Amino acid sequence: MHELSVIIEVAKQVEAIAIENNITEVDSIVLQIGEISSMIPRYIEECYPAAVDRTMLEKTKLVIEIVKATANCDHCDQVFNIVDSEGHCPICQTKDWTLLTGKEFIIKEIIVC
Amino acid sequence: MSEFKILEIKQAVFEKNDRQADQLRIDLKNEGIFLLNLMSSPGSGKTTTLTRTINLLKNELKIGVMEADIDSDVDAITIAKTGAKVIQLHTGGMCHLDAGMTKQGLAGLGVNELDLVILENVGNLVCPAEFDTGSSKNAMILSVPEGDDKPLKYPLMFQICDVLLINKIDVLSVFDFDIELCKARVLKLNPNIKIIPISARTGEGIPEFCDWVKEEVKNWKGVSHE
Repeated sequence: MHELSVIIEVAKQVEAIAIENNITEVDSIVLQIGEISSMIPRYIEECYPAAVDRTMLEKTKLVIEIVKATANCDHCDQVFNIVDSEGHCPICQTKDWTLLTGKEFIIKEIIVC
Repeated sequence: MSEFKILEIKQAVFEKNDRQADQLRIDLKNEGIFLLNLMSSPGSGKTTTLTRTINLLKNELKIGVMEADIDSDVDAITIAKTGAKVIQLHTGGMCHLDAGMTKQGLAGLGVNELDLVILENVGNLVCPAEFDTGSSKNAMILSVPEGDDKPLKYPLMFQICDVLLINKIDVLSVFDFDIELCKARVLKLNPNIKIIPISARTGEGIPEFCDWVKEEVKNWKGVSHE
C-alpha cells in the first residue's frame, strides 16, 4: 500500500549516500526486507522503476534479500520461524514469544561501479 | 571491465522519519503545543467524535485540526463549523502521513497560540501505525460495527496507541460485539492503553475523553522537555 512512497524515500537516501561518497554511478542497491515487515517485496519491485525514473539511479538494479521471521519462545527458549510454525512454538505450542528478526527494512549496501 | 565496490550502508529506511518525528516532538514540547494523532478505519466516526470533543473543550483550550485525506475537503468544512482552526491536507494518494508531512501541515495551519492540535490521520488501520508523525500521543477509534476481532487483525495499531475510543456503543445491542472481550484483547497487546467507550452520536463518554485530553495537555505543558 505504501510501497511507492517508501521506495522513493529509499532512492533519496541512496542518492544522498552516493553524493556524500562522490559516487556517480550505482550498479545495484541491496535491500533487506523482513518477512513480516509491512513491505511487500513484489510491490517494492514494481514501484522501484517509477521511484528512480529520471534520477541518477535510473539504471541501478534493485536486489532484495528476505530476512526470515524468527522468535524466541518465552517458555522453552526455542528459537523458531514464526511463519513456518504459524505463530506457535513448535516445541511447547504456546503463542508467547519475543520477536528476534523479521521486521527489518534496511538499505544493506550499495554496489558501485 | 569496471571493478565493483560494495559500500556497506546498514541504514534502516525509517530511521530518518523516526529522527524527524523525535525532533518535531521536542519542538512542539518547547512551544507548549500538544499534538494528538487520531487514527481509525474510514467511517468509524472520527469527524463526529472530533466535533463533539472540540465543542466541549473550546472554551478551555485553543484548538487546531489537521484533516488528512487522500482527496476532498468535506471533513475540514464540518470541523470549521466548530470554530476551530482547520487545515485540509491532501496526501495525494498516500495512505498515511509521516513526520515531514506533519511538520509542513503544522506550518500551514499556523500553531502559534494553540494548546492542542489534533491530526485526523488517513482512515486506515495499517499504514498510519507504521509511521511516527511526531505526535505527543496517539489515539484511535474502533467502532462497534467493525467488530471486536480488529485487535487480533491489526495488532500494531493497538500497540502504539495511548487511548482507544470504542465508538457507536449506542448500537451495541444490534451487533455481535463483545466489548469485554474486545477490551481484554486490546489490553493483552497494550496493558497501558486507556479504553473509553463512547457514542459520538449521543455524546456518551465524550466528557471522559475530554478529561483525558485536558490532563495530557496539562502534563505536556507542565513537564520540561527531556
